[in-house]
Amino acid sequence: MTSRIELPLGVEASVQSTGPGPERSDDVEVALKSLGQWQLAWKRFLRHRMALVGLAVFSAIALIAIIGPIVAPYNPIDIPGAKEQGGDPPTLQHIFGTDDAGRDVFTNIINGAHISLAVGLFSTLIAGVIGVIVGALAGAAGGFTDNVLMRIVDVTFAVPLLFLILVAAVFFGQGSVISLILVFGLLQWGLIARLVRAQFLSLRETDFVEAARAVGVSNLRITFRHILPNALGPVIVVMTLLMASNIVLEAFVSFLNFGIAATEPTWGNALSNSQGAMGDGNWWWAFFPGMCIALTVISINFIGDGLHDALDPRARL
Amino acid sequence: MTKYIVRRLLQAIPVVFLISVVCFFLMLLAPGGPQAQFNQNRFVTQDQVNAWLQHWCLVRNPGPLDMLKEYGGWLGVWNCHAGSLLSDQNLPNFLPGFLGGGDNGMLHGDWGISIYLNQPVADVILGRLPVTMLLMTTAWIIWLTLALLLGVMAAVKRYSIFDQIVTFFSYTFYSLPTFWLGLMLIYIFAVSLHWFPSQLIQSPRISPGPFASSVWWTAFWTNPGKYGWDVAMHLVLPVTTLVAVSVAGDSRFVRSAMLESLNQDYVRTARAKGLGERRVIFRHAFRNALLPIITNGALEVAFLFSGAIVTETIFSLQGMGYLFIQGLQAHDYFLLMGIVFIGAILVVVFNLVADVLYAVADPRIRYD
Repeated sequence: MTSRIELPLGVEASVQSTGPGPERSDDVEVALKSLGQWQLAWKRFLRHRMALVGLAVFSAIALIAIIGPIVAPYNPIDIPGAKEQGGDPPTLQHIFGTDDAGRDVFTNIINGAHISLAVGLFSTLIAGVIGVIVGALAGAAGGFTDNVLMRIVDVTFAVPLLFLILVAAVFFGQGSVISLILVFGLLQWGLIARLVRAQFLSLRETDFVEAARAVGVSNLRITFRHILPNALGPVIVVMTLLMASNIVLEAFVSFLNFGIAATEPTWGNALSNSQGAMGDGNWWWAFFPGMCIALTVISINFIGDGLHDALDPRARL
Repeated sequence: MTKYIVRRLLQAIPVVFLISVVCFFLMLLAPGGPQAQFNQNRFVTQDQVNAWLQHWCLVRNPGPLDMLKEYGGWLGVWNCHAGSLLSDQNLPNFLPGFLGGGDNGMLHGDWGISIYLNQPVADVILGRLPVTMLLMTTAWIIWLTLALLLGVMAAVKRYSIFDQIVTFFSYTFYSLPTFWLGLMLIYIFAVSLHWFPSQLIQSPRISPGPFASSVWWTAFWTNPGKYGWDVAMHLVLPVTTLVAVSVAGDSRFVRSAMLESLNQDYVRTARAKGLGERRVIFRHAFRNALLPIITNGALEVAFLFSGAIVTETIFSLQGMGYLFIQGLQAHDYFLLMGIVFIGAILVVVFNLVADVLYAVADPRIRYD
């Protein structure tokens, strides 16, 4: 017979009685299992309904991005010729319509998904890794190192970042996905570095770090075991939001024809091609790729919202 | 306070200098260059291209020393036509003109000449500035008013239907790509409904000349209603695009600032004193919630400047954002440097404005 007792914070207990009745209290075994930080965070995340919806939608989009091109109804570069000039409106055969060359918009969206997601994900990862390393270095070392690193970060904040990104994308992008990822990642780590440094500065003064230092834990171990894991929560949240904004950014840069080569079926390129068609009333050509971007971004933002609540160490279950 | 402002401005000089170095070398290091426009032209010989580049004080495939010279020429340290660090008067080139220095480069107030338009960069930018300024100011005022109204009302009526509607819309609009929203607005309100024009800042049919030029102003004062109305109609869609996205994020921000303020002890005290609800909200809670809002409002001017790139491109407004895109396409180093420089100055100035306003609004903060 197993009965569960609700315990308040991060502790799960199960009481197993071996004897026939509850009155034989000396035979009751109480097993306490405490939940780790990440398990607690996961439990809190599961309570955030919109974040779960976001996660489900995003997973679906990611799944489509991976297996979609295999099961897509049409060949993305198949150009059968549109029935009407400027593309056919949505029909049962082409649920999102076709563009002026007769290419199926739905197929193009499916084939573009993995590029958009890859740009968002990998540029954010690059920015995150560099940002955490630089921020941790500045926060842990302090003094001269801190000063130099933070002045470098200041420079990337001295102009509206979009200007710098556009300049870099135009001059170094050359239409390749990898260089665009590098441009985004290498220009955006400043924000994360600042955040990590601020976390380090405040965590350095906390009691548990003081306690660790008092029992003689080495500086290296304090940095990696005690401060870094606690600093990661806000970083993960900011990285989620950064990923969402990078997906939009990729679409915008490609929309201006400065991004990924126009031959690739990305969401941004689909919008770019459709710009002229809007004046002729061919709305479907721009509407659906844009909706896909919006849906992806909304779902990522909700996940970020959930993570924000879940990773806050002060939050209770 | 004056001392603080001066110190901040002095601190900004190395940062702006560094950003100009980063931007200039980023462009020079990249393959290609402004001479790329001659690539397909078989009537232009290589010697002609080299001479053309030399006219702009540039070289083909610059090495590290050439890059330094080119940057020095832009900055005003290098006298490019004499090919030395000395001016024509044989004095260091970076000295001001009246002390015998040169007259080229930013240090001497010379922004260079746009390769693409073959006009002085300063003139080109000044000509394009009015459209961007008009767009940004209008959007900024509407955006601030709406964000304040929606945010405060949502905070006061927390968890009401109104609050939930505002929350829903702000989440949705916040996630929409600005440029896509612009395209959709064009489709709905310009193409389908014909309510508003979708391109340019004024109708070519009644336009007396480029917007805010002297010809335009003369015509404007003869009939302010007609020309003003025309420009206003052209502004509706771009401003809506620009405002929708920023209001979405900032009404949330105002709401949380206001909620925090409403939970403070002094609000409870004010209520306990028996003050009217309106007075409590506006005199006690709102005044204190203003602090973060002011800072945020000043900082977002730089954000609006990059928003101008998006809207001006989609709506073909002849402003600085559009100019920037044209400069990018033509690899026009000097034009791009000029615009990035203005962006950097905007960021510096409005960061400072935010801090100064913060001190003005909060008597507890002092900067000396």
